[in-house]
Amino acid sequence: MNTNFANQFLTLLRKEFVIEFRQRYAISGIVLYVISMVFVVYASSIKVGPKEWNVFFWLIVLFAGINAVVKSFVQESGTRQLYYYQLVDPSILISAKIVYNTILLMALTSLAYGSYSVVAGNPVKDPGLFLLVLFLASLGFSIAFTFLSSIAAKASNSATLMAILSFPVILPVLLTLLRLSSVSLRLIQDTAYRKDIINLVAIDVILVALAFVLFPFIWRD
Amino acid sequence: MWWKTTSVILLIYAIVAGLLVPLKPGIDRVSPDSALTGSRLDMQIHGYNTWYSRGNTADIRVWLQYDSLRAVAGTDIRVISDTTLAVSFQLPTTLPDGGESDMLNLIVSHPTDGVSLLPSALEIEADTSASSSAANWTDNPVEKLHVVRDFSYPYRNVIYETIRNTYFHVPMWFALMFMFLVSVVYSIKYLTRPDETSDQKAVAFTETGLLFGLLGLTTGMLWAHYAWGKAWSNDIKQLMTAVALLVYAAYFILRASFDEPEKGARLAAVYNIFAFSSLVPLLYIVPRLFASLHPGATGNPAFGSQDLDNTMRLVFYPSIIGFILLGVWIANIRYRILRIQQLADDQD
Repeated sequence: MNTNFANQFLTLLRKEFVIEFRQRYAISGIVLYVISMVFVVYASSIKVGPKEWNVFFWLIVLFAGINAVVKSFVQESGTRQLYYYQLVDPSILISAKIVYNTILLMALTSLAYGSYSVVAGNPVKDPGLFLLVLFLASLGFSIAFTFLSSIAAKASNSATLMAILSFPVILPVLLTLLRLSSVSLRLIQDTAYRKDIINLVAIDVILVALAFVLFPFIWRD
Repeated sequence: MWWKTTSVILLIYAIVAGLLVPLKPGIDRVSPDSALTGSRLDMQIHGYNTWYSRGNTADIRVWLQYDSLRAVAGTDIRVISDTTLAVSFQLPTTLPDGGESDMLNLIVSHPTDGVSLLPSALEIEADTSASSSAANWTDNPVEKLHVVRDFSYPYRNVIYETIRNTYFHVPMWFALMFMFLVSVVYSIKYLTRPDETSDQKAVAFTETGLLFGLLGLTTGMLWAHYAWGKAWSNDIKQLMTAVALLVYAAYFILRASFDEPEKGARLAAVYNIFAFSSLVPLLYIVPRLFASLHPGATGNPAFGSQDLDNTMRLVFYPSIIGFILLGVWIANIRYRILRIQQLADDQD
């Protein structure tokens, strides 16, 4: 049974990559989105100090993240969803989507970090912590947005609904990330930042647990 | 029926007692509020709710307190009016820790008003050229205070009379949590066994919870206007509360975005559980990470230990119960309205 679960999970995960690879316009769109946003930020502010760098960076990551994840349920038709429903356990499906979106978001945040560093400079003083923050951001955004996009995908106005549902919910995560990122940029002195990391991980654990428990109810149509 | 009557009685009691019971006598300010060591200080004390002329003037005692062991007693105490007291101090030549400056607390013990304290009332600076005086810090310890028992609320500088808002602002959040909790219970019930009643009850309780949230935010803004200087100062607690209300506002938009009511009800129930679990980080975890003026945030004592005395508890707890019962009552009426609308729609 265990190997069966792992097999289903890996097949679904591979399926996500294959879909993404076949519809290359979607991923290219997101990549372009990130790069154009980086340039908009750079063009609209003459000089980017470390403080502004921090705020703009997280805004870019937030918007890119929402746009990248929102399609994860919308892009597949209702009949195909029904097909999956008969084949696999819903918790395996959502975990495959979450893992896939985490990998996607990690790639996107790294891309955003790279391109942003090229145009606006790189004020990060503690790269290790900053990369950890990027990973935690990808994980947190992926869990929350994947779950909420599964709700939003059921409605007709899914893009608006996605923004309404996710912005307030993600705010505690985003504020903690901003704080941790400020620490890694040495904008604030905080020796107790490990507590923030634990908080963030705790929020992620709660979100994952909720997604697992609640997803079967969203799924069932 | 009994609980509706209880709610009305408790709320009338909370409003009447909450607004009419007086504050304890306190010290509003002193003039002058700074002095040099070794000098003779003539101070005027301005009281609030005080009756200094009652009782024997000889029984009034005043101290400038450095810490729990060291204090200077005041002499030549004269009552100027019920709210003004004149007193003289002979300040010692040096500070006990040999430092440059410090803040002293003022304690007044009055035979009928009892003890009142003004924290950090006087700023004292070391005067290096001062000739040594006879006074010292420990010759007259703070003891044999007049203890007066009465039914009154604590006097706190900065918030003064607005301490009464405790009976209205805080119960709103208790009621909100209760309403949202009941709503989540109905949502879980709906997911395990779908039927219209649970869904409508969940909606009614969410609406009532949101109403309490708006009232809590409004009473909080009124309080902030007096205690913090501005009604909205982008304090993290205010921001996160507004965000929490947005999370619940999204609940109604989500419900309305589906053509099939059954689907909307199911997804709204799922979202309700999700929203409730995001309420705890928003209201109680994040505000503690950032600097805030609100009690319970970093650097501030949590509510209850210092701000709530036994007299206040006598009004505070009934008020919480009263508002929760009122909320259940409102939600009940709202549920019946939804039910009637549903029946009317079915007949069309």
